[in-house]
Amino acid sequence: MNYTVINRDVQVGDIYLTAVTSSAIFLIGDADVINLSSAFDTPPESLIIGPLVPLTPKGS
Amino acid sequence: MKRLSMVQWLNSNTVLLSSVLQIGDSREINARSYVLAVQRQYEWFGGNEGEGAFPVFARSLPKLPVSAYVQTRRLNESPVLSVRSIHLIAVSTAAVVHIGSTSTIDADTRIKHIRQLSEPNIPFSLSLPQAAIRITKDG
Repeated sequence: MNYTVINRDVQVGDIYLTAVTSSAIFLIGDADVINLSSAFDTPPESLIIGPLVPLTPKGS
Repeated sequence: MKRLSMVQWLNSNTVLLSSVLQIGDSREINARSYVLAVQRQYEWFGGNEGEGAFPVFARSLPKLPVSAYVQTRRLNESPVLSVRSIHLIAVSTAAVVHIGSTSTIDADTRIKHIRQLSEPNIPFSLSLPQAAIRITKDG
């Protein structure tokens, strides 16, 4: 597959950003390869109501 | 060829946890951040707890199969990317802010979030851990 990009004049004024987080990117420029991932593990069981107990990962 | 990036004014407040603020060209950026976020109703930390491996941190990433070969041609009619001003409050957890061109960016974040609340109407002293209690919690 052939893919042609014509980059014409780009002039941007003011950019206001609150936050760039969790493997996000804010790029002013060119790039060849970008590979971003983020995994969140927050199942319903991660809310524990009861006596405070130490954290023990599965299998230990 | 890659374009020239011009930014007249950059105002950045906070950059943290394996984040990158790069001014100028780069070739390769690798950012990693593994977070165990524990919120407890009472201020209590049991020493070396949570040091074992939670599965989310060990899990390998699924790979996206790309079957088509793409031949890319880039014609830079204007060699400049121009921005007047950037106002940034925070860059966090393996995030990248890059003014300039790059070849490869690779970033990975894993977050394990746990919240522990005590049962209603139970005094603080009773909700503290007993030595013998150990429960396994993971999803």
